Amino acid sequence: MDTTAHGPEAATPASGPWPIRLTDVTVRYPNGVVGLRGVSLAIEAGEMVSVVGLSGSGKSTLVRTVNGLVPVTSGTVQVGPYRVDQLRGRRLRHVRGSIGMIFQGFNLADRASVYHNVLVGRFSHTPTWKTLLGLTSREDREMVMSALDSVGMLEKVWGRAGALSGGQKQRVAIARALSQEPQVMLADEPVASLDPPTAHAVMSDLRRVNTERDLTVLVNLHLMDLARQYTTRMIGLRDGELVYDGPASSATDADFEAIYGRPIQTRDTLGQ
Amino acid sequence: MTVLTATRAPAITRAPSRPRRLGVRAAQLLVGAVVLASALHLDIGWSDLAQLPADLRHYLGLMFAHPDWSRLPGAFYQTWVSVSMAWVGALLGVVLSTLLGIPAAAGVGPLWVRLPLRGVFAVLRAVPEVIIAIIILTVTGLTPFTGALALAIGGIGTHGKWTYETIEAVPPGTAEAVRAAGGNLLEVARWGLWTQASPELMSLALYRFEINVRTSAILGLIGVGGVGDLLTGYTQYRQWDAVGVLIIVIVVVTMVIDGISGAIRRRIMRGARTRDVDRSS
Repeated sequence: MDTTAHGPEAATPASGPWPIRLTDVTVRYPNGVVGLRGVSLAIEAGEMVSVVGLSGSGKSTLVRTVNGLVPVTSGTVQVGPYRVDQLRGRRLRHVRGSIGMIFQGFNLADRASVYHNVLVGRFSHTPTWKTLLGLTSREDREMVMSALDSVGMLEKVWGRAGALSGGQKQRVAIARALSQEPQVMLADEPVASLDPPTAHAVMSDLRRVNTERDLTVLVNLHLMDLARQYTTRMIGLRDGELVYDGPASSATDADFEAIYGRPIQTRDTLGQ
Repeated sequence: MTVLTATRAPAITRAPSRPRRLGVRAAQLLVGAVVLASALHLDIGWSDLAQLPADLRHYLGLMFAHPDWSRLPGAFYQTWVSVSMAWVGALLGVVLSTLLGIPAAAGVGPLWVRLPLRGVFAVLRAVPEVIIAIIILTVTGLTPFTGALALAIGGIGTHGKWTYETIEAVPPGTAEAVRAAGGNLLEVARWGLWTQASPELMSLALYRFEINVRTSAILGLIGVGGVGDLLTGYTQYRQWDAVGVLIIVIVVVTMVIDGISGAIRRRIMRGARTRDVDRSS
């Protein structure tokens, strides 16, 4: 692994951001629930795209098809040079190593240290027996530290993840994703469990990841003002169908009402 | 009171009728019949019970009025043998049931691994340690090691079940994050599930040790050594003053071990303080 490839200068042509192409993707879960219905979309390399919709509209399913956490029933998913829908096992895990992801519930191991949580991001680049024993190379340690430093959490590295506040946990989760040195960053409702100031801070972090590290970012949101403020393009989902695809900043209230399928309410915005 | 509510509350015309609970009634009757039949069949000598308090006072006097304290070193030594049996049995049992219990958890092992393992746990739970000891003493003889092995094998039944239930109760988020970062099954189990479940599993392992301390005394009764062995001998020769000393030692040692182990378990479950976490690098 190239040790110099962290920080903003990582944007070399060889490891630049990846485009994402979904073609006629349908996801039907084993229990019969349909998550996505014939969704096609093309996200260019380095774009910052929000996916907006009510809960149950298929947002979570959409981002999980990109890293194969949810297998597609039909259609194709192309991420960078890989057809994710055709990959399994070792090769799918290899691709996931290049796709960072953060979650609404942070999904940290609360009883482990911040350091070990971020180290998870190095798994796909490290032999399994080493990760099982918790052995690390100097490069891995440096990457963990630089990822934590870039989200301002370096001084907490030896603390317990469970002892952090919600905003700090999400920052550690971003560091975990960054330590993968990914080409794509997925975020599933990353600020839905945070208070407004912290939510804005985390969204700023994501945008910084997009511009400074030059990553393709796909972020699920259900709040319209966050989508307008922090993303350049917006995908609207309703009942698993793509109902909007256009610029985020100029999306009108009418566009949001069409996506939500109901009038705008005060809880659809976060405020400052 | 009733008048008040009757005047205030509007009359309810369509309240649902109380469900008939025929099944419950039948079960109650059945349990009653079983209890009655058992009592009749056992032919309890109620008249003997009247004598019980007097007998109890007599024997308690024999045991505890003048305990033979010269037996104390022997009693402590044999209790130590029992505790060693419990300790080795717990260690062996916990290691084996952790290795077997993790693949038995849903989400880790496939169904064809899970089902046979759970079957083995269920069978082992059904067999008391004393029976297991009687079976394996044909191979290892009447030694404390037999006792430790019986405790280990018997412990797999319950501890294996505790292990997979604990792992299944871990919230799935952390495991999903490890998978999303490209982790394989072993890495998901080690860093997504084990880190979250291990404090609880450690606590259960200590609890298993506490249980084994008590069970090891019983195992002595079949002659594998330890304090139970000694107790049988003294009782058969009616050396009540020695039996008294033994019982005092057993109760005190068991309570002390329970207390210490319980304190450690509470400390584990409360969680490590921040500065205690780093055991790495």
